[in-house]
Amino acid sequence: MSDRILGLVLLILSAAYAIGARAMEVGFLSDPVGPRTFPYLIAAIMGASSLWLILRPDPEPAWPSRGFWIPFGLALLSLVAYAYLLVPLGFIVTTALEMTLLSMLFGAKPRQAAVGGLSFSVLVYLLFTQVLGVPLPVGRIFG
Amino acid sequence: MDILQALVHGFGVAFQPINLLLVFLGCLVGTLIGVLPGIGPISGVALLVPLTFALKLPPESALILLAGIYYGAMYGGSTTSILLNIPGETSSVVTTLDGYQLAKQGRAGPALAIAAWGSFIAGTLSVVGLMLLGPLLAQWAIRFGPAEYFALMVFGFSTLSALAGKNMAKALIATAFGLMLATVGQDPQSGISRYTFGLLQLEDGMDFLVVAIGLFAVGEVLVLLEEKSHSSAVMAQVGRVYLSLKEFMGALATFLRSSVLGFLIGVLPGAGASIASFVAYTVEKRWLGRRGRFGQGDLRGVAAPESANNAAAGGAMIPLLTLGLPGSGTTAIMLGALISLGVTPGPQMFQQHPNIVWGLIASMYVGNVVLLILNLPLVWVFVRLLTVPAWFLLPAVLAVSFIGVYAVNNNPFDLLLMSVFGLVGYLMRKFDFPLAPVLLGLVLGYLMEINLRRAMAISNGEVGFLFSSPIAVVLWILAGLSLFAPTIISRFARRGQLGGDEI
Repeated sequence: MSDRILGLVLLILSAAYAIGARAMEVGFLSDPVGPRTFPYLIAAIMGASSLWLILRPDPEPAWPSRGFWIPFGLALLSLVAYAYLLVPLGFIVTTALEMTLLSMLFGAKPRQAAVGGLSFSVLVYLLFTQVLGVPLPVGRIFG
Repeated sequence: MDILQALVHGFGVAFQPINLLLVFLGCLVGTLIGVLPGIGPISGVALLVPLTFALKLPPESALILLAGIYYGAMYGGSTTSILLNIPGETSSVVTTLDGYQLAKQGRAGPALAIAAWGSFIAGTLSVVGLMLLGPLLAQWAIRFGPAEYFALMVFGFSTLSALAGKNMAKALIATAFGLMLATVGQDPQSGISRYTFGLLQLEDGMDFLVVAIGLFAVGEVLVLLEEKSHSSAVMAQVGRVYLSLKEFMGALATFLRSSVLGFLIGVLPGAGASIASFVAYTVEKRWLGRRGRFGQGDLRGVAAPESANNAAAGGAMIPLLTLGLPGSGTTAIMLGALISLGVTPGPQMFQQHPNIVWGLIASMYVGNVVLLILNLPLVWVFVRLLTVPAWFLLPAVLAVSFIGVYAVNNNPFDLLLMSVFGLVGYLMRKFDFPLAPVLLGLVLGYLMEINLRRAMAISNGEVGFLFSSPIAVVLWILAGLSLFAPTIISRFARRGQLGGDEI
């Protein structure tokens, strides 16, 4: 059943992708193929394969138990938050917080997680900025 | 240029102190990646590419480092397969069959040693093959025009879709998805924006590193979050890693047969190390028949897949360097890295960039020796690493991923994109989609489209031009035939054991 739903979603995606190609405005100076043809070909391949998936689905995948979605959602949200907080808070603080949260999701005790996260963040920050010369954000709040 | 002379030149490049250091570093990091769960060779190579950019390494040094990680990971993957029955990479899945049996019988030492020797012999043989076959193929590929290139890529994608994963429809969807991602950004010929949704950050297209790290590193960590309790359970006793001369001689024929087989499979576009190790094991089992005790702890059952996967890694360099056509996710990232460094692999590569090609070949000789020296005495150090708890290891992998992604453009937007692909990677694993085709589609999509459009510009829109040369026709026929490859393979071997993840 999961495969059939996925097939339907992918079918809609291919259709939307093809419509997106149709909507492109092509100037007079274009080559004979133009920017639309290749997307049409891709949409055709994906559409046909999705139909096949709907007709011949695989056995149901092993979905995790319901309780899993809370830590999973937390992990995903924290990744998004990381992207927004990295520049304002700086690499060390953001990464330490992120690692602490994730370590706890992986079953560490809060103190273990905080110590591990902070020391690793400081270590890689120094390694990358001082030794390897890769710039990482210091944090707007510090500067 | 004479091959021998070229090779001497290559060793000149490989023996530069910085490159020697990079070979060593690549092998070491590669072995670590192979041993540790949660990071495969694809994420490993993807994570190190931004570093090579940041350090402003010249292209040959960058490629030497990345290749070292690639075959180092092939090497390291065998250790956990043998000792813990956990394949670090999909290309070592078959190694667990006999390797773990041997470890349970207290013969982990010889099993590890035979894996190391198999990898060494195969690695060296495949470098010789690369050296001899590469220039030949390059000479032939010089005649390729846009129509032939387009047909070649169709051939590559059809073998890939046929061989990656269990369900061809899913492999095709993954390929098409990768090609879709490749069309995001400014159209190179007409200059209009495609599928950017008005986002300036997408104007230059999706960066292959962001997609790779998201799909592979983040996706894998999310999957492991679900399994949680996978930290090393029972540690097998390693003992002394040794191999008697008798055991070595007994496996010699297996080493050689599997190396040649693995190398040839590696050369095929779309077929990588996982398939090579699987086919080599099956062939060797058939070949030895009742003389072998495969599945019950036969040393040759470790020798066959371990030689084959290393030989395939070498063979995969041929289409990468001469045609610019990667056969696996890892080589796709290497191609992307080379293009970013301003080097487009192709038939001219051997003439135009002898430093890169011969430097790489020579460094692979050196790397094989380094791996042998590194792995036999130090195997217990790597095994000790497995006791690092998952709660520390996996968040640390993510922290390094963040650096890798951020370093690409210094733009936090890429981190958002990475999270999206992390979710996509998780779902694709759950639904049993192969992931490597997405990367290949993304990296090759641009070249595929541009060659199609060039061909059509030459012929003024006449589609028949795509089938007008003998080379193109042969490639189209091969592309059609390769779609039947699964049927042929399943006739001689039970399918379903092929790992589709990281071929």
